[in-house]
Amino acid sequence: MAGMRSTVRSILQRRDAKTSTFLITGGTGFIGSHLATALLKAGFPVVLVARRRGSLSARERVRALLDWFELDEVLESRLTVLEGNLDQQDLGLSEQAYANLLEVVDEIVHCASDTSFSERKRPEIEKANVANLDRLLDFSAKSRCCFFHHVSTAYVAGKTSGVCPEDPVKQEEFTNVYEETKCIAEAKVSARCAQEGIRLNVYRPSITYGDSSTGKTLLFNGFYYPVKTVVFLKNIYEKDLNENEGRRARQMGVRRNGDGGLFLPLRVATAASSGVNLIPIDYLVKAFMAILSESLCGDFFHVVNSRVTTLEELAEFTRRFFGIEGILPVSEEAFQETRRNALEALFEHYIEAYGPYMKDKRIFDSSKTRAILEKRQIVCPEFDFNVFSRCMEYAETAEWGTNLFGKSR
Amino acid sequence: MIPDDTTKTASQCRHYAMCKIDFLGTGLCPPGKSKHYVSYYPQGRMDLWCALANGLIPVTERLVDIASTCTLCAICDKQCHFVTGMRPLKVMKALKEYVSDHVSRGGTVTRVESEPFLESLREIVGEEWATNDPAILVTYSNDPFPLAGMRLPRCVALPRTKDEIVEIVRLANKENVPFVVRGNGGSVFGFVFTDGVVIDTNRMKGIEIDRDNWVAIVEPGVTSFELQQEAAKHGLRVNAAEPAATVCGNIVCTGTFSTWSNAYGVGADNFVNMEFVDALGRVFDLNEKRAPNVFSFQNEVYPSPGICTKAYVRMHPIMEDEEGVLVPFSSFPEAVSFAKELSARRIGLAIGVLGGHYISTFMSPSAKLAEEVKTRLADALGIEYLVFVVGDKYARGAIRRMTETVIDNRLLRTIMLGLPRLVESEWADLITGLEGDKRPYQILLREEMYPLLETVLNPSPRTIAQAVDEDLRDFYADLYSRPQMTDLLWLNTFRIVSSRMSRHKHMFAFLVYVPLDDEKVTQQLVSEFARIAEKHSISHDYGFLTPLDFGKRAIFEYDYYIDHTDPAEAVKIRNAMMEIEPMLDGASARTKGVKWLKYVFSQGCSRKENFLYT
Repeated sequence: MAGMRSTVRSILQRRDAKTSTFLITGGTGFIGSHLATALLKAGFPVVLVARRRGSLSARERVRALLDWFELDEVLESRLTVLEGNLDQQDLGLSEQAYANLLEVVDEIVHCASDTSFSERKRPEIEKANVANLDRLLDFSAKSRCCFFHHVSTAYVAGKTSGVCPEDPVKQEEFTNVYEETKCIAEAKVSARCAQEGIRLNVYRPSITYGDSSTGKTLLFNGFYYPVKTVVFLKNIYEKDLNENEGRRARQMGVRRNGDGGLFLPLRVATAASSGVNLIPIDYLVKAFMAILSESLCGDFFHVVNSRVTTLEELAEFTRRFFGIEGILPVSEEAFQETRRNALEALFEHYIEAYGPYMKDKRIFDSSKTRAILEKRQIVCPEFDFNVFSRCMEYAETAEWGTNLFGKSR
Repeated sequence: MIPDDTTKTASQCRHYAMCKIDFLGTGLCPPGKSKHYVSYYPQGRMDLWCALANGLIPVTERLVDIASTCTLCAICDKQCHFVTGMRPLKVMKALKEYVSDHVSRGGTVTRVESEPFLESLREIVGEEWATNDPAILVTYSNDPFPLAGMRLPRCVALPRTKDEIVEIVRLANKENVPFVVRGNGGSVFGFVFTDGVVIDTNRMKGIEIDRDNWVAIVEPGVTSFELQQEAAKHGLRVNAAEPAATVCGNIVCTGTFSTWSNAYGVGADNFVNMEFVDALGRVFDLNEKRAPNVFSFQNEVYPSPGICTKAYVRMHPIMEDEEGVLVPFSSFPEAVSFAKELSARRIGLAIGVLGGHYISTFMSPSAKLAEEVKTRLADALGIEYLVFVVGDKYARGAIRRMTETVIDNRLLRTIMLGLPRLVESEWADLITGLEGDKRPYQILLREEMYPLLETVLNPSPRTIAQAVDEDLRDFYADLYSRPQMTDLLWLNTFRIVSSRMSRHKHMFAFLVYVPLDDEKVTQQLVSEFARIAEKHSISHDYGFLTPLDFGKRAIFEYDYYIDHTDPAEAVKIRNAMMEIEPMLDGASARTKGVKWLKYVFSQGCSRKENFLYT
């Protein structure tokens, strides 16, 4: 194990002078773009290595994001966008660009990740979460990088119950390939950073949703997906009621309520005393910046909510906001008495993938994180109906992601 | 003055001759039906318009007749749009107006002088049925094949009987005039052109059903569609190819293959006997001991044994409980392996492995919708290939036990009639977001999901009709209210959608017989076709594969697509062919069971064993 490349003092000096350059991977993604924006706002120069997508260059993609974040020219002037690809040798950069980057990067924030759960996508997930990390770590070793900020997930805890400590994980059983590869990634980054003398903070957020005060988000997965599905079903059955005299709605037991809402017979399997651990992106960003500032020796941090949101609460929020009744969390045994209908069959498959997160009984110890955040009076906003409403209002405005930037994708 | 847009439409005619069969129940072009010459059909008028635009023909007496007999009934608009998306009525109108204008302005109407050879032909077939008028000749001189130039014949003759054909052949030999015989010219490979006389069999439409011998005796002008219709009246089926292709011509040229070939075979399997007029005008049938051995096969380009004047086509029984199903797959090897297993286990009659382009094109009434469907099937549902099977209830039961997801006819009907809704982004985004180890199609296409799918897609003839031009929507809504338009079995029997595969561009099909025991052989050929196409910037796609002879062999098709009116595309194809020919010949030399259809062409009467296992 090497001695540290930089002293805490020199790190602080460069940060105070705002000369620390941060390289961010996954900077066009949900978490990465928010962290990049926060760093720019904090006055730091930021480099994004981003890939093309279809006909859009990396710069064009970032341009759309800059408008979304409403960043001014001053902040933009601190941003450098390099078109590259972590899938490729030398991060997909030209020899010269790679060499230049080696000379300027002081700290790395690694957000790039494949968040799919599907076992059939294992090769792509392993490539994105493990092999690409190796290339980035090779870069960091050759560069002057002194601090690596690894955005992981609380769910590296894997298949466990009870308290999950803010420590390196020794786990061998995981719910899916995403958890498994993120755990492998943590082990790799820990070992390599120790070997190279690079300080390491590992940030483990739980399920992240939009901004708690504005509702804005770039991603509509997590809890958005089942809500979107329910809203979609509501719309098609309302259309059937309006245009086809409700012939198909009646077949499914769907009907209008007296108050103009809709009754959708939808039982959703859940487990007692369980729920989903949700944090808003604004909280994650504040927590990240606080930890970045305070944790100068490197450590592991759970950025989570102290309270889970139950399916009952989500169902109630959905009822209140969208006027959809009939969503009923039940135990799995209920389906043995009465088979799933088509709506419930669709949900069953959704819950199958997200089930461990919706019925989570894990308790994430976050004492280290709390110690830092309480000093700065940073508290995780409660996921209440007001926050839910803001998120849904934004989701509808952005057409659930298809109209994020003001025009159809 | 000939407007560019009408010429552009006319020049895109694919020559698949679908306007010569009544495949939609609209009736046929009235003058085409009575006059028989290609020129009187919409296809011919499209060619005539191009010929006028290019100054290839004058206005002749025959052209005046062709133009004036067009009633502008718009049957062609419906038929052609269904297959190609084109609207030929504007060309018909333009032709009519042009000629009428020409005549009313006192323009020259050329009377073409006869000649002794033509008079001799007329003595054989009748005054009306032989001509040398350029307005007739030009429509027998060209097709979309980009590597062959135009060849204007000397005459065209339409015999009615075998004896007339014998006399024509003897006359041609005596006068040293070359001749070719033509069914509907749908081969579109530049084969049916000559400087001499084109013998068009369009008047020879006799069909006789010999129920006791399970045989349909057909004359050379009978098309696959017409024969299939006749067989169906008797509760029977034939192995037939493209609907507008003539049965006799198809057997002789290609050995008639289709998805039914899995059960019914290819080549000599298709017939009990055939009658020919040979190059010297002698008549023979294949049951005669002295007849040439057409059952043999030489792996080289070989002339046909003669003009088939009668085919005794085998017919097959139909079970009342037969239906078609589709089994989705996300990879080619999986799909081929499944098809092979079905064939080896004798499960199902018709079997085909279809690619995304074929299935989306078959289902979609417009090219735009087809493109969207193809993308959605792959990206949203995870379906890259589908194995199509026709089977009775026992076969379908077996298939359900072999695989998790089966698209039955009810589901297909829902999907087809709700197709415009399937591609709507809201629904597609929802499907794409489905996580989990199962592919989206494995979740969504289950029987318990049918009520939900029906609600989402709102399937109806009106829904699917939204995909076409507004003025055609009533017609399409009426068309799709007929059960057979969403019936896999009917569609596969009558194949009225298969010529849609060239809707977006003219197709250059490569057909290869392959061994199925080593699946890598086919995969390698597919990869090579794709590589060569990419290298020459040619649009391309996999077509289909059908297992043969209990899964031991298969026939597969790979397609290149070109704008046949663009000389640059002809250059591309020519250059690509310089790689493809040695590639296929090399594969054939190296691997047993690989045979390019190019060498089977005109040896279609061969026993399949002679080209599959030598």
